[in-house]
Amino acid sequence: MAIAERGYTHWDGELQERRRPWWPITRHGIRLAFKRKYFKFSFFISLMPAFGFLVGIYAAEKIQDFKVMIKGSPTLLTVDPGFFRAYFAGEFLLFMMLMIMVLAGAGLIADELRHNALQLYFARPLAKKDYFVGKAAILVFFLSLVTLAPGLLFILFKLIFSGSFRFLGDYPWLPLSVIGFSALVTAFFSLYTLMISSVSKNRRYTAIMLFTIYIFSDVLFGIFYGSFRSPYFALLSLKVNLQQVGAAFFRVKPPFPVPWAYSLAVLLAVCAAAAVVLHKRVKGVEVIK
Amino acid sequence: MSIELKDIRFSYGRVQALDGVDIKLEQGAVGLLGPNGAGKSTLLRILLGFLKPERGEGRVLGHDIRTEQALIRRRVGYMPENDCFIPGMDAVTFTSYFGELSGMPRQEAMKRAHDVLFYVGLGESRYRPLETYSSGMKQRLKLAQAIVHDPRLLFLDEPTSNLDPQGRKEILELILDISSKKDIQVLLSSHILSDIETICPFVVILNKGRVAAHGELQNLRETSFRLFELKVKGGPGPFLERVRALGCKVEATEDMILKIYMPPGLERAVIFRTAAEEGLQVREFLRSQTSLEDVFAKAVGVD
Repeated sequence: MAIAERGYTHWDGELQERRRPWWPITRHGIRLAFKRKYFKFSFFISLMPAFGFLVGIYAAEKIQDFKVMIKGSPTLLTVDPGFFRAYFAGEFLLFMMLMIMVLAGAGLIADELRHNALQLYFARPLAKKDYFVGKAAILVFFLSLVTLAPGLLFILFKLIFSGSFRFLGDYPWLPLSVIGFSALVTAFFSLYTLMISSVSKNRRYTAIMLFTIYIFSDVLFGIFYGSFRSPYFALLSLKVNLQQVGAAFFRVKPPFPVPWAYSLAVLLAVCAAAAVVLHKRVKGVEVIK
Repeated sequence: MSIELKDIRFSYGRVQALDGVDIKLEQGAVGLLGPNGAGKSTLLRILLGFLKPERGEGRVLGHDIRTEQALIRRRVGYMPENDCFIPGMDAVTFTSYFGELSGMPRQEAMKRAHDVLFYVGLGESRYRPLETYSSGMKQRLKLAQAIVHDPRLLFLDEPTSNLDPQGRKEILELILDISSKKDIQVLLSSHILSDIETICPFVVILNKGRVAAHGELQNLRETSFRLFELKVKGGPGPFLERVRALGCKVEATEDMILKIYMPPGLERAVIFRTAAEEGLQVREFLRSQTSLEDVFAKAVGVD
């Protein structure tokens, strides 16, 4: 007999109180992201710098074998904090992180606002905080795979290839810097993306906004810096602020002579603004129109 | 007692949305009625735990509406009025996803999602992307996600809006089947009075934030009016005016049937007496049944 003809049947089970009620949101979000057009390709491309730097670490340890190729420029293959800064605050990686956000994050909230899905979430035993954590964890997952995971692998491979712990002895703070900067850059991009995703119901608009605001802030900095030559205009650029803070985390000279704390303050201000916007835009009480 | 509210008050700024609402609902399907702005949505928000009442107290399925909102939402199902889905998902993923969010284990949610999708008639199209669903299919999908975790209380907000007659009939049959289970209570909010008449033996009518009528539909029909239909020979003008003066509501249909709604306490003999005094012959006199529309109109004070 077909189920429809059998009438309504009860479910023979117990509803559980989850310790991480946001986890289904994250798991489904990651699966949906991989279904998106171009996402897999972009994500693969964003992992390319990590492979390049890993090869660099190997080459640095086997410098004798590569002497002919590097022709007297062994500094190119010096694995030190500058090497890590070059990876984490590199233009290409930051751009690819933005692309990941555009492809995987632009519609995270926008699509649900457009299709009225929020009311289904909040009619469940799910707090607003859990919803945001679930959505943010999707972005954290992808960003960690291109920041934290490669950073820790670089240290691990350096130790393996060198066969000693001398590297950690020279830079004992480096693992913490990798974790700290990865956390900062991940938190910044996640909150920035969720904020933009919540301001419109149209995924295309939010994707364009994500891209435009990031690029425009850099263009604005370029125009003002070109006109007035003041390095403080670097604070206008989201990208340069990330690079400034990255330099501070890895204890290398920042690209511009501006206190890194100012850049950190700008990034934290964006994060705080994102939290306020998210709180205003996503309201559980609005589920019943 | 599945829903018990005592003296619930709530206002949005200076606008009083609910003003001393007292409701006690037992088992079965209950229709929630009221004109726009009557406070239905506010009441649903309070029952789902999104708003805390300014005054009064209440329990839903035994849980306090002020302090145990999460427990309430775990055990209730909610089918919203608007179309809602997540693009990129199919019906099985969508339904099991919300089952998981309600607290079902992953495997169980998936198994149950298949069951409820077959139950609501989406079994054959359960792997199709939701973006390709018609309005009727989306309506069924909303019902599926509302019942996937087997709630004890089901809130249905305009469940038949945007449906063709056949689709509407099928959804009503499903709701009737669900509400026939002794241990599931259905609260159906709708502007389509015939839907509520079909499904709900009980109604709550809200008007201006207050309960205007509340109880078993059959009793409300009896206590609100007695309806008689009559045909008379002769010009009924003065007769109708005199009947109206007695406190009756009178309607004349196109085929000259006079519908007289008599208030409680008025004897039917008065009608015959008045007709005789006006020189009219009463050719037909039938006791009819008042509709929910009549009860609603009386409760909210409109013709």
